[in-house]
Amino acid sequence: MTDTPAKTINIILAALGGEGGGVFTNWLIAVAENNGWLCQSTSLAGVAQRTGATIYYIELFPKDHQKGRKPVMSLFPAQGDIDIAVSSEIAEAGRMLQRGFITPDKTTLITSTHRVYGITEKSDIADGTMDASSVLELAAKYSHRFINFDMSELAAKHNSVISSALFGALAGSNALPFDKQSFKEVIVSTGKAVTTNLAAFDDSYDCAQRAVGGSAVEIFRPQTAPSKASLSDVKAQFELPVAQSSRGSELFERLQTRFPVATHELIYHGLQRLIEYQDFNYAHQYLDELEKIMKIDNGQQNFKLTNATARYLALWMCFEDIPRVAQLKVRATRVDEIRREVKADAEQIIHITEFFRPRPEEICAMLPKALGRALLSSRLGRGFLGIFAGGRKLRTDTLAVYLSLRVLASFRAIRRFSLGYETEYKMITNWLDSIKLLAARDPQSSLEMALCGRLVKGYGATRERTTEQVVTIAQFCQSFATASAKEINHLRLSAIKDDTNEAFNKTLSQYRNVS
Amino acid sequence: MAERSFTHEVLKLHAGEGESFKGEGILAITKGLLQSGVAYVGGYQGSPISHLMDVLNDAQGILGDLGVHFEANGSEATAAAMLSASINYPLRGAVTWKSTVGTNVASDALSNIASSGVTGGAIIIVGEDYGEGSSIMQERTYAFAMKAQMWLIDPRPNLTSIVDMIESAFQLSEASNTPVFYMMRIRGCHVTGEFTAKDNRAPDFSSKNHVVPNREAEKIILPPHVYQQEQDKIAQRWPHAIDFIVDNKLNEFFPGKHKQLGIITCGGTYNTLIRALQRQGLSNNFGVSDIPIYVMNVAYPVVPEEIVEFCVGKSHVVLLEEGQPEYIEPAIHTILRKRDIQTKVYGADLFTQAGEYTAQITLLGLTRFLETPGMPYITKNFSVADVQRFNSPLTDIEHQKLLKVVPPRPSGLCTGCPERPLFSAIKQVQNDLGPFHISSDIGCHSFATLAPFNLGNTIMGYGLSLASSSSIRAALPHKAISIMGDGGFWHNGLSSGVVSAVFNKHDGILIIVNNGYSAATGGQDIPSMVEPNNIIATTIDARHSERDDSVSIELACRGAGVEWVRTVSTYSIEAMKKTLNEALQSSQPGLKVIIAEGECMLNRQRRIKPLMKKSIGDGKRTLRARFYIDSQTCTGDHACIRLSGCPSLTIKPSLDTLREDPVSYVDNSCVGCGVCGDNVHSAVLCPSFSKIDLLYNPNWLDKASSLLRRNVIKLFQRYDESRQAGQLL
Repeated sequence: MTDTPAKTINIILAALGGEGGGVFTNWLIAVAENNGWLCQSTSLAGVAQRTGATIYYIELFPKDHQKGRKPVMSLFPAQGDIDIAVSSEIAEAGRMLQRGFITPDKTTLITSTHRVYGITEKSDIADGTMDASSVLELAAKYSHRFINFDMSELAAKHNSVISSALFGALAGSNALPFDKQSFKEVIVSTGKAVTTNLAAFDDSYDCAQRAVGGSAVEIFRPQTAPSKASLSDVKAQFELPVAQSSRGSELFERLQTRFPVATHELIYHGLQRLIEYQDFNYAHQYLDELEKIMKIDNGQQNFKLTNATARYLALWMCFEDIPRVAQLKVRATRVDEIRREVKADAEQIIHITEFFRPRPEEICAMLPKALGRALLSSRLGRGFLGIFAGGRKLRTDTLAVYLSLRVLASFRAIRRFSLGYETEYKMITNWLDSIKLLAARDPQSSLEMALCGRLVKGYGATRERTTEQVVTIAQFCQSFATASAKEINHLRLSAIKDDTNEAFNKTLSQYRNVS
Repeated sequence: MAERSFTHEVLKLHAGEGESFKGEGILAITKGLLQSGVAYVGGYQGSPISHLMDVLNDAQGILGDLGVHFEANGSEATAAAMLSASINYPLRGAVTWKSTVGTNVASDALSNIASSGVTGGAIIIVGEDYGEGSSIMQERTYAFAMKAQMWLIDPRPNLTSIVDMIESAFQLSEASNTPVFYMMRIRGCHVTGEFTAKDNRAPDFSSKNHVVPNREAEKIILPPHVYQQEQDKIAQRWPHAIDFIVDNKLNEFFPGKHKQLGIITCGGTYNTLIRALQRQGLSNNFGVSDIPIYVMNVAYPVVPEEIVEFCVGKSHVVLLEEGQPEYIEPAIHTILRKRDIQTKVYGADLFTQAGEYTAQITLLGLTRFLETPGMPYITKNFSVADVQRFNSPLTDIEHQKLLKVVPPRPSGLCTGCPERPLFSAIKQVQNDLGPFHISSDIGCHSFATLAPFNLGNTIMGYGLSLASSSSIRAALPHKAISIMGDGGFWHNGLSSGVVSAVFNKHDGILIIVNNGYSAATGGQDIPSMVEPNNIIATTIDARHSERDDSVSIELACRGAGVEWVRTVSTYSIEAMKKTLNEALQSSQPGLKVIIAEGECMLNRQRRIKPLMKKSIGDGKRTLRARFYIDSQTCTGDHACIRLSGCPSLTIKPSLDTLREDPVSYVDNSCVGCGVCGDNVHSAVLCPSFSKIDLLYNPNWLDKASSLLRRNVIKLFQRYDESRQAGQLL
């Protein structure tokens, strides 16, 4: 056809329910109309306000090309025909890539790089989060221009919402033939949260402008926190800080003379935790256990065996009994952490209500062995414990509760004589013994056994289940000389498949039969 | 008060002759109705036409001024029965619902009115919930139109066509004495645009100007009249309809230079077709196409004369008919075969036999058509292979990579939803006594069938859960469990479910989720609506007062003969578990009804947020609650999330130097509903949850006790610090 002076600009927006995708669309329509463009939009709202993903589709056409005629615009976004794709979250950008809406010849992709986790990621027993770096990589590869930064954080910085940040990024992307002022006018004309929305808009506009930077193709630069793990196992450059006390320098000396540098960082953090949890003697006890592991470590993968054991041993030795929980609840920094998180005003009074539900088992665990055992095994004792057990709502900002918690926390003084310590340490020893036993057989199995320490977590029944799993795996290795690294690995992964032990038991019986 | 308010937008409905009207598709339909002199409107909400009901509701002032009667009907059957006013009198009426589900519910009344025939124009605006964004099984309303001999209009999805075709639909209905379906697709309902308005027209008859009662025995659907009515459908109404469609050019012919070819499309798929032609370089922006197009704005009946006129002299014709099975395609073949016209006709075989005609499918089908054997050569931009490549530029390996990192986002319950604690309770009882077979229903509670609750086995229809458990109950090891919403209860559940169950001595359990609104469709009012008045943003201790005109679900059940009825707040998980256990283990015969109460949080927040703001502004002592997770005590097991699935209960990377798994985290969208705390108690979870109450406008007692507490605690902390000095590493 000859009569094709202009083409529609096709824009797709992927947002999550409640993120203001509708607001963004209305702003965009207003900008387009004020600039003399005809605009058609449509959306698939469905049940999206209830957590789902929403798609908005917008087409723009210049009115001065109309000459009295009406353009026919599409209601469907088309694969290979999207000029601008906007995504409020990085995984949703991935979904648009999957669906073919991002193409290298024309699509400007604007996405926030933050994550909003899906239910499958959230409900995982361990770490089900997906690594978005491959989305960034493919987005950079397949978009014509790629603008990405954390717009959620930017919006929060200005006390605004993500739609303002997305709007700023769109304006700053130079992908639309409208000037910055016309975007801002629309925000102003709404009369709602104008100052904060404009602040987020401006900041985001500048970020996008820097990203565009005059060049046609963006160079990929991941701007999110790259690593999921809080601390990498290997850091050769780690330097121990200067010791703060004489007993501290004793520990450091032991660490420096008996352990390779590759293990210092993790062990240092372990020591810190143990002292805060108990005392220096407990930290020495930790090093005693680790030295035995160190001896059997062949040094492969930067002493991975020692590092893994150091990590999980520290966590296990700091098991969360009632004194520990009480200690954490009365810690000095806690109230400020809470105030920051709930955005309390400077002088605002807040009430903090804790939800506790100790079982008789947990109460006995903090008592001296003999007493705890006697109480647990007698009916009278259990009846007595019933007074303290069960659901409690306690206001830790009141003095009575605060002081009671301090009393409970002080029970850590007798922790090493407590029933709980005996139970936990028996399991710890069993786990460490298995690591040593397997080291003689096969270093890889030994490492797998050490990694099983990660399974231990939770409270009450969850803790019973998870520690039981480690004990069971250890017993399996002790009973079957043929237990291989692959089998232990499989058992460990089965253990975090569900919280009913279904997968774990299945795997276990499968290997028992074979062995 | 529905979720979305149109009070501002409905003012546009006053627009008069020649004014430009800008807005959404549904608003345009309402304007079209008013311009046509409609006398009564009604319907039942449901996506994608929920907003049409909301607009009508919010436009009651304007409707009232004109004398238009409006009813928010109890069900689609009620709405369809409303159309009976058009049988004997020249009253124009319109009703609306979600299709095909609503059409199914309405089918009894629809068949009867289709047989009786109408004097005044009667149209049914169906939101065809088909394709992406749909929430129901995939079927076509077309089949119903055929079997009942009702006409079906499928307009081009631009506002001018939409509004014009409303008026034409009334005229067609009157010219052929036949009720007419007016079909809107999902995207068409939400499309924005503009058209030139006309003046609104008051109906000829209304509360201001009564009709004279008129009895026409031959319009009653009893023998012998029904035989004559069937004859009339074919001998009178059909030809009158065809004549009207042809005379008034309801279908459109667009010429093109490739005269030997042709494309037949329904109105609804016209825009997608034009875009495909544009991309192939065969049309300009304004729909001027190189290939002739015949647009069927009336999808049923098919007009034989027009098909013949269009096809004669063409070698190849292609038809766009979305959905299955195809009805228009065989009709065209029959018409051409009978006239011995040898044009080759292609259809679903080139596009897709089932599923939506998306932009990609349409472009692909069109391109395949241009490459069919014997087709004259036409220059085009893309070959079939090119178009197939548009599916995705990614390689298979890259697709696999993305599959691993793009999480599914199933629909779920909102933050603070009162149904969440109910399902937590059921899940916990199931852990003790299960597994359960549960008959589910339509509503927000349908989402309990998805992760993380995974509760529910079948969904048979709106208000039909109890009815659907009546067979399986005999074969279950536990008492049958049915879950129904308050919306479903009033829609159908009371009669089809409760009354029938009592009559048949059903021994099972019916849980009625009473959240005070028709929540899933957008928070519309229902008979049992409550209007609680406390303004604290937590529902833990919700006290509520009922509206004056509220109808009690409990009394309705008791009236139907249920003896065992318990009402439990959903937020009391322990009480709910106890009641469930009691119901499951009760030896008392008869149906056991548990009314699970808790106001829809989405609507509640919308309602109380301004109240709370005002209370704080007025200087009143006000508490606002939200929850908090201590990341130092959380060990990253996420059991709390598996029990809840609340959007505000999420995870964040662990900041602990030793722990690797992410910890649970409550984000700032938390409304403090209290479920997290209750779950800690009822499911024996960890001690990491705290409820934080932010206090606004404290009184002197608050201030004094806070000061004392802080200072004493500070003393202890100073003591701790001095002691810790020697304990540092």
